[in-house]
Amino acid sequence: MLEPLGNGILTIVQWQYLLPLFLGTLIGVVGGALPGVTITLTIIVLLPFTFGLDPLQGLAAMTGVYVGGSAGGLITATLLGIPGTPSAIATTFDGFPMARNGEPGRAIWLGIWSSFFGGLLGGLFLILVTGPLAAIALRFGPWEYFSLFVLALAMVAGLAEGTLLKGLISAGIGLVVTMVGSDPIGGIPRFAFDSDFLRGGFPFLPVLIGVFAFSQIMTDVESLGRPKSGQAGAALARSSLSASHLKTIGEILGRPLLLLWSTVVGILIGVLPAVGGSAANMLAYDQAKKLSSHPDRFGKGTPEGIIAAESANNANVGGSLVTIMAFGIPGDAVTAVMLGAMTIHGIQSGPLFVSQNVELAYGIYAAYIVAHPLMVAIMAVSALIMLRVTQVRLSVLAPVVLVLCVVGAYAVGNTMSSVYVLVIFGAVGYALVKTGFPLAPLILGLILGEQIELNLVRSIMTDDDPWLFVTRPISGGLLLAAALSVALSVWQHLRHASRTRKVEADF
Amino acid sequence: MRLGRDGVIGLICFAVSLALLVQSFSLPQLPLTPVGPGFYPRIVLGLLGMAGLGLLLQDLLAARADGPVSGGEPRPTAGVHRRVILLFGIIAAYVLLLPVLGFRSSTALFVLALQPAIEWPVTARAWAAVVAIAIATPLAAYLVFEKYLLVLLPRGSLTGW
Repeated sequence: MLEPLGNGILTIVQWQYLLPLFLGTLIGVVGGALPGVTITLTIIVLLPFTFGLDPLQGLAAMTGVYVGGSAGGLITATLLGIPGTPSAIATTFDGFPMARNGEPGRAIWLGIWSSFFGGLLGGLFLILVTGPLAAIALRFGPWEYFSLFVLALAMVAGLAEGTLLKGLISAGIGLVVTMVGSDPIGGIPRFAFDSDFLRGGFPFLPVLIGVFAFSQIMTDVESLGRPKSGQAGAALARSSLSASHLKTIGEILGRPLLLLWSTVVGILIGVLPAVGGSAANMLAYDQAKKLSSHPDRFGKGTPEGIIAAESANNANVGGSLVTIMAFGIPGDAVTAVMLGAMTIHGIQSGPLFVSQNVELAYGIYAAYIVAHPLMVAIMAVSALIMLRVTQVRLSVLAPVVLVLCVVGAYAVGNTMSSVYVLVIFGAVGYALVKTGFPLAPLILGLILGEQIELNLVRSIMTDDDPWLFVTRPISGGLLLAAALSVALSVWQHLRHASRTRKVEADF
Repeated sequence: MRLGRDGVIGLICFAVSLALLVQSFSLPQLPLTPVGPGFYPRIVLGLLGMAGLGLLLQDLLAARADGPVSGGEPRPTAGVHRRVILLFGIIAAYVLLLPVLGFRSSTALFVLALQPAIEWPVTARAWAAVVAIAIATPLAAYLVFEKYLLVLLPRGSLTGW
């Protein structure tokens, strides 16, 4: 393991890989710092640039975006009180008060170094666990894969914001989209209605880009002119961010249990499909507060809050990469775009990915590790400049992002039909967001739809006994977990509804 | 009884699922496989239809209990609504122009139209910036993608480039 990792690092530090990794990390930090621009949107913007690069260059750039974006959100969260990305929401709770209390340098560097250590611990998990997990995944038959995908969908539908029914419908829409075109076994046209446009099916990346980017940009346009919180932090943008690094690192490493526990929370949330850094950030903060001996200090600028929130959201990246590299299942929309880029380069994801693409896999590990010191260096040089970048007007940003979306969609198949799919699903995504449907289940449905069908049909072709899904231990366990996940979600919904009724009655 | 927004969506979801479900029965059976191309869609559409029906019932029950209307973010004002519709219109026009005028011309027009639609420039300097960005965006994209990264961009039937 150490030898291929060493080779990977030696490859990545060569300028033809280091440059895309550096640029990816820089773009990630900028995208992360820009309020209203998520990491997903940033990676979508970067996607068309990776088509002309070799696979490792492209994936290194994307890994850089992921790492940089997860940390970049803390700049505006700490200095302006506005989280740059949803994964930095909890960072504002203590980062902004600490900065306002006259310690902006300490606040921002606690965040940066926590991201660094959390991310590297996540990387350690990624490197140690991916291989053994992939070995387990290799023993999976179609029954186990089918059940695993069902579990992923059940969890996402239950965990996503909004009601369970809306989550399930959103996942169902994603699955239906993958059915249009032709069936994956016999190639028979299906739901094409004699249309050439529909016969080819809906390509995954344009649908994903449309659903995510359009809904994001249109929502940003809607919020134009609304008063933003955190304007009081504008003065902080002009202050000095100097801090004693040794002291800051000592503050973080002096709380090893907090760092480790927040990292574990981040990794576990990352491994769960489609539950992103925002959940990791919030949950780790909540855990840190509950486990703290002085919870009353939280929200007033305590270092524990920043350490927990920032170490968790960067560790989350390592967890997400484990899922995609061991199982070929994207943990979130960011890794879904990475999967799409891999497919375009002809790389087959799945449990054989690491063993069949040793150089590429260890190159990704190396890129992930090297991206962390790069992120620290970029933040050190440019944190204050980033604040100026965040002043870029939406009227400039939105057209550029949309043009890049069009370029990315067109490049998938060099046909205009991909661009039409992009716009159609852009409208669909926006409509779903406006009617309160979560997008994460839809994305996962899109990603897994064809694989679910293939594994279901394969299992029936191997043995038509349907009870095998339940009687095979791993498959049965996964289906049981899926049922429990749905039941838990229903129970939580009912409990919430009964509490709401009680509060209304008391009122 | 008046349906809420969720109820309407549930009804649409149920109707579309039912229509596709009916269509799935007309799909041919494959000779070598025990299940045909309609097998999996029938499962998904059945579940989706039931979820749609569930959403409809939930909405009806909520309306009967006179509870809060569920779903969605706060409604935007009419002005914001118009702006979003205008943006989608400009995007649609851009996509229709792309195969006619090609990437460079239509992108310049698109960026030129979209910027004022999002935020109206009030000074001459702001207008100059709008024009400069409209020219720079397609030019930079052309140089980076088509010239440097060799990623193809849409060509226009009228312009040939």
